[in-house]
Amino acid sequence: MKFATRTLEIAGAWMLGIMWVTPLLYAAWTAFHPADFATHFDLTAPLTLGNFVRAWQAAPFARYFLNTTILVTIILVAQFLLCTPAAFAFARMEFPGRDILFGVVLLQLMVMPDVLLVGNYRTMAQLGLVDTILAIALPYLGSAFGIFLLRQTFRSVPQELDDAARLEGCTLMRRIWRVYVPLARPTYIAYGLVSVSYHWNNFLWPLVITNSVTTRPLTVGLSVFASTDQGIDWSIITAATLMTSAPLLLAFLLFQRQFVQSFMRAGIR
Amino acid sequence: MPAPTSRRALLTGAAALAGAAPILAAPLLTAPAIAQSKVEIEFYFPVAVGGPITKIIDGYAADFMKAHPDIKVTPVYAGSYVDTLTKAVTASKAGRGPQLAVLLSVDAYSLIDDELILPFDQLATTAEDKAWLAGFYPAFMRNGQIDGHTWGIPFQRSTIVMYYNKAAFQDSGLDPEKAPATWAENTAFAEKLTRREGDRTTRWGIQIPASGFPYWLFQALAIEAGAELANANGTKVNYNDPGAVEALQYWLDLATKQKVHPPGVVDWGTTPRDFLEGKVAMIWTTTGNLSNIRANAKFPFGVAMLPAQKRRGSPTGGGNFHLFKSASPAQQAASLTFLKWITSPERAAQWGIDTGYVATSPAAWQTPAMKAYLAGFPAAAVARDQLEFAVPELSTHDNQRVTQALNDELQAVLTGRKAPKAALDAAQANATRLLRPYAR
Repeated sequence: MKFATRTLEIAGAWMLGIMWVTPLLYAAWTAFHPADFATHFDLTAPLTLGNFVRAWQAAPFARYFLNTTILVTIILVAQFLLCTPAAFAFARMEFPGRDILFGVVLLQLMVMPDVLLVGNYRTMAQLGLVDTILAIALPYLGSAFGIFLLRQTFRSVPQELDDAARLEGCTLMRRIWRVYVPLARPTYIAYGLVSVSYHWNNFLWPLVITNSVTTRPLTVGLSVFASTDQGIDWSIITAATLMTSAPLLLAFLLFQRQFVQSFMRAGIR
Repeated sequence: MPAPTSRRALLTGAAALAGAAPILAAPLLTAPAIAQSKVEIEFYFPVAVGGPITKIIDGYAADFMKAHPDIKVTPVYAGSYVDTLTKAVTASKAGRGPQLAVLLSVDAYSLIDDELILPFDQLATTAEDKAWLAGFYPAFMRNGQIDGHTWGIPFQRSTIVMYYNKAAFQDSGLDPEKAPATWAENTAFAEKLTRREGDRTTRWGIQIPASGFPYWLFQALAIEAGAELANANGTKVNYNDPGAVEALQYWLDLATKQKVHPPGVVDWGTTPRDFLEGKVAMIWTTTGNLSNIRANAKFPFGVAMLPAQKRRGSPTGGGNFHLFKSASPAQQAASLTFLKWITSPERAAQWGIDTGYVATSPAAWQTPAMKAYLAGFPAAAVARDQLEFAVPELSTHDNQRVTQALNDELQAVLTGRKAPKAALDAAQANATRLLRPYAR
């Protein structure tokens, strides 16, 4: 019985794994072969890097890589800095209206960012920030999801540890920094992954708020290949996709163990 | 008695502000003075075909500024047509919009209803300007002519044409120089061209794509069957016209009765690749594909006008330049100068050759560059010759939702969930309800 369940689990895991990896394998196949072999599978097909060269030249990708990196870094650092104290206050401090306020923060999760397009644009125009990387980042610096996730983690930190630190004479900031943050590390990693991949892939807001090469992220560069009037050139589009997602894929492969573990811990607690 | 004090404080503050105002205002006042020496205009453009479009456009802007040092043009690439519309509308509503944008010609009604754009005829008033406006193909102007004004300048325009595989025609015993001219021939040719191996079809006779914007290809069939899908002022649609029903039945029959067209919804994006790989012998798609197919076809191919039932015909498609209200008078004048330059015959010819779009004025087809191009590649003239039969693309008030009503029903029919008449009746009812506020 137990054996049967186990086999089923493994088979299910393989199925899901194959479903996930198939598009990636197709992309890798197409990107490294001439266009003629985009839909023909032939092991003897000649390999080529030509698609990558063409894709790289179609847009200023070097600059876009830099912009995207700056963007996700700003957002991640700011989110950690803003969410940590907010989450701590909601988790461990008593003040009037705390639960209502927390409810208001959670409410923000239900607002689709696209609805705020015009409003956010207007704000950025008033601040004089249109066409800057900061303008792309600004609406996302405070994150309701981040606050929620960290609050749940902070609440599970044993009160005794906090009390002990307080007896040792730790200030509030030191307690957060020395006790809560280290124990919430898996949550930070899990949330960081979600945040980075979301903003690495975000398209509409960056497109709308920026105008020039010096501020635009990778996704905007990628969209020159979506030539709708003409049909799709799979070779070049897969090459460009692999190229732009490579840093994320590599990072995930390198830190795979940490990511998986942190997700499990963050989930179990 | 705190009230008087605070009021006095307020008054003092206000006085201080008033005193400071001239200083604050000074830089604002000098700004237009600088602008007069150099007018800046910004225009948004989408990319809808392959190739280094952004580089070509940047090159145009640079060339223009060399010829007109008093004007600074900043082209801004803005994604697909839909993205460009979103970006232009968002920025305009926030007061930071572009002066010009290339948007689908069918979006004109929405832009007018949102009070975002200006008509060109009030700006182009000299005899020379009027001659310029009259110089474009009338078929390309019609989508932008609304309520007696001209709201769009044709730029990247297209129509639907048929591409056919001459080698397949030959191996099926057909004359490779003679494309089907009528629906009956179209069906007969497609039957001969279809190849089957048991239950599997190795080559389809014909493919008419229906993903994304099926209304566009359907409109070609409907025109050929004698139906006009919308009235001229965009307040009424005729989706369930008998001609439209006949057109949809013909499309459906190709797939279900004659079985010479793949069943279900054929994907727009992969149709050219299917053609290039010999999986289909005839396809209907945009002239914008010409360069792509020419570069990648490994067999001789032909380009032909769409076949006729009652008449020949195709809708036009593609994007026009639109002038936004945010433009100051100086910017409007600069925009006009730029548009006249970029649509000049030489420029329009070059743009057509580079991209496959149809050059927008008869004069462009008389330029030496275009004549040399046509001498080597006569198929490029088919789209131009078809313009004589062209009808403006389906466009109404609240355009996106009104066409979506048709798109949904078309796909329901092609996937076998509804009968043509019932589906078009439903689309008609839905669209009429959406258009009620505009039917004055």
